[in-house]
Amino acid sequence: MDVAFFVSLLAHTVQAGTPLLLGTVGEIYAERSGVLNLGVEGMMAMGALTAFATSFYTGNIGLALALAMIAAALLSLVHAFLSITMRANQIVSGLAITILGLGLSGFLGKPMIGMTALHLSSFSIPILADIPVVGPILFSQDILVYTSIFAALVLWFVLFKTRLGLNVRSVGENPAMADSLGLNVYLIRYVCVLVGGAMAGLAGAYLSLLYTPLWIEGMTAGKGWIVIALTIFATWNPLRAIFGAYLFGGVIALQFRLQAIGIGTEAPQFLLMLPYLTTIVALVLISLEAVRRRMGVPAALGLPYVRGES
Amino acid sequence: MPVVSLVLGFLSAAPLFLAVGVNPILAYRQVLGVFVNVDGLTESFTRAIPLLLASIGLCLPFKMNFWNIGAEGQLFMGAFAATAIVFMLPDSSAFVLLGSMMIAGFIFGGIWGLIPAYLKARLETNEVLTTLMLNFVAILWVDYLVYGPWRDPEGFGFPLTPMFPLNARLPWIPGTRIHAGLIVGLVCAVLVYIFLARTRWGYELKVTGESRLAAKYAGIDYLKLTLLVMFIGGGLAGLAGMGLVSGIVLRLRHGISPGYGFSAIIIAWLARLNPLAAVPVSILFGGLLVAGDALQIGLGLAFATTSVFQALILLFVVGAEVLTRYKVALTWE
Repeated sequence: MDVAFFVSLLAHTVQAGTPLLLGTVGEIYAERSGVLNLGVEGMMAMGALTAFATSFYTGNIGLALALAMIAAALLSLVHAFLSITMRANQIVSGLAITILGLGLSGFLGKPMIGMTALHLSSFSIPILADIPVVGPILFSQDILVYTSIFAALVLWFVLFKTRLGLNVRSVGENPAMADSLGLNVYLIRYVCVLVGGAMAGLAGAYLSLLYTPLWIEGMTAGKGWIVIALTIFATWNPLRAIFGAYLFGGVIALQFRLQAIGIGTEAPQFLLMLPYLTTIVALVLISLEAVRRRMGVPAALGLPYVRGES
Repeated sequence: MPVVSLVLGFLSAAPLFLAVGVNPILAYRQVLGVFVNVDGLTESFTRAIPLLLASIGLCLPFKMNFWNIGAEGQLFMGAFAATAIVFMLPDSSAFVLLGSMMIAGFIFGGIWGLIPAYLKARLETNEVLTTLMLNFVAILWVDYLVYGPWRDPEGFGFPLTPMFPLNARLPWIPGTRIHAGLIVGLVCAVLVYIFLARTRWGYELKVTGESRLAAKYAGIDYLKLTLLVMFIGGGLAGLAGMGLVSGIVLRLRHGISPGYGFSAIIIAWLARLNPLAAVPVSILFGGLLVAGDALQIGLGLAFATTSVFQALILLFVVGAEVLTRYKVALTWE
């Protein structure tokens, strides 16, 4: 193991962390507004398929990214309708979205299996990319890597430093109070869930256009669920989500890099378990912490709001 | 109401069939065809066995708002444990062997359920995520065994164990694949029903499900209740896994379950967490899986077709719940 190994490991870390980061900042918005959306895995899968198919048929990457976001946002709209307007059980509705997204992408994506499409290429930032070690890790990545970090910063700023963000948080903390102050609880929740959906779609697009530039059924492989865990791990804060996403990206990258240099090839299943076991460990650690000092869980998370009932 | 959801779920898939160039009427005819011929019907019962066991196992934790998404992993651990027993006691009588396989399957499925139960009750660790992550771990663990130490040397490299000896196979109805697991499933459904309706624990579950705080004031031990419920629930999923290896596949192999544990969530919800209602719903969903195969072979549709059906049905069930709630409110006034 030498410098080259670590450079490739860290570069892979950033790539593996990017879809997680995109998905997590989106889910943070949905949950901050009080709506738990367990449909991330399904929305990601739909985003991945839509992006790949669009790129396959049109060769237009920009359009592929846009349609991936729209497709996933449409799925999240179903969840928003059921959980906000119909006040349905959010856990079951979210699960249904995941099953639907995974199923639908498999159903519609059958002709895409084994095809190749135009994919996202990397974009080196001049001068910075030439810095040894740091250059290849941070500044020779693709546009979505930079976008995801930028999005996390902007969404953090909006959530904590603007009136708009305050509105989102108050709707998630105390919807009745927010309502009495004249905020449109339903509208804010709808918008936040849609933002979450669009971001999950972008995360999916990253998977099929760059990370594994192919369409494979079930290619999300639990990443949508890791996103939901990361949302808790980041204590609903987009800045901490950057740290969390790269931490998990690192675990995923490590698993691949170790395999690439021939470690654990006789029983790769144990390496493949790593991200899932890490998720459990991370959740346990954060719960230990939570016992000591209650952290930022939105008070009305998962509870439907009905005017005049609370 | 569930029937309406079912029909609506089916009908709403029509545009999807059109999107992939398949005549929806042809597709629906394939689905209905399953229920009007003997082979289709018996196969539906076969597929219903793991669905029934796993879904009645889910009725328990769901009743107390413990969201166990891990039936799939609990099922895999049951299948693993049952197979381990076959390797350990290959020469014992069918009675001893099958009995041990059932007990081991139940215990290992149960243990896989205890882990998230303990974490939730002690540390408030989100059980949706821990149960889900444990699914991946259990599936990979079985993969490790069937690709590695347990692989059949005469299996041409396929990821599967050797066939089970005759004494490790559940008896079945001749001419069908319906095995004795069906009786086990029906007995368990009745037992779980009694557990819920007639015992103190069943009552405690209901109180906890309605309000954990109220349950606490009533002196209900949340930790003990969660552990008990998840051991039984996971154990039932483990039994489903035992039935799969011992009654249908007759060996352990890669991908032993096409998602029975996830379908079971939908079934439990559709049955309104009533274990007796889970019986007909499981048979219906068994038929749905058979229909999925027919659509795959007959019309060249993807395996995922059945997932789409199931998700659409679930969405309508979830949406319809509000309407039924509304009806209750109306009769009140």
